Amino acid sequence: MSDEETQKPLTDLLAPASIRLDAKAADRDDAIRQAGAALVEAGAVDPSYVDAMLERENSVSTFVGEGVAIPHGTLAGKDAVKDDAIVVLRFPDGVDWHGNPVSVAVGIAAKGNGHIALLSQLATVLLDPEKAAALRGATTPDQVYELLASDEDDE
Amino acid sequence: MATLDGSSVKKLIVACDAGMGSSVMLASTLKKQLAKNGVTVEHSPVAHIPSDADVVVTQAGLADRARHVVPDIPVVPFQLFLGDPAVAKIVKAIQDGTTVEV
Repeated sequence: MSDEETQKPLTDLLAPASIRLDAKAADRDDAIRQAGAALVEAGAVDPSYVDAMLERENSVSTFVGEGVAIPHGTLAGKDAVKDDAIVVLRFPDGVDWHGNPVSVAVGIAAKGNGHIALLSQLATVLLDPEKAAALRGATTPDQVYELLASDEDDE
Repeated sequence: MATLDGSSVKKLIVACDAGMGSSVMLASTLKKQLAKNGVTVEHSPVAHIPSDADVVVTQAGLADRARHVVPDIPVVPFQLFLGDPAVAKIVKAIQDGTTVEV
């Protein structure tokens, strides 16, 4: 895989307007719809992608641990994806994600491989309890960028 | 159950439905853990698992679909994205070159 060649700059992939750190959701589906709406607003997906996100969540949860879920669509929903994009929604009050408490939802739309470095870095953050707590507690977009910027030397 | 010889694993596939989210994250984590062992780690939609894989790890809910796609390749289901014991066992078998029941 030549993922490195296709990486987008972080601020293209995750636009400042796509970082919403004071979101509120009634329940999991509401949170997913909000993440989907943010991807629509970012110009990355057609509105039908939101249904694919809900469908995916009902078949296999995207809860990944450390209070984080990564809602995204199904393979069948990929036609609705126009561009690679990520959105970050923080729910300070938490959302019940089918029995798991979630305070950060990272919405994903991927047409190519432009999002791989960011997801790779997200995995690194979640495997480090202190960084994971920092992500759950982030109150400014800069804190999110700092955590999710790829730093391959810092291992 | 099948026996997997960790020392013979050259290609590990992390499969999920769309190959766009959780499999990407787990693959990047495993890639780092197994870099020294000369193992190729790739992510893939479950419907498109390459036939030259030596072992497939996938979320428990997708394991049956994965087995249907590649009936001759060991499929290891996991529940937890972070620190799943089944995945940890496979990683250790590959790192130590030991065998493991999957």
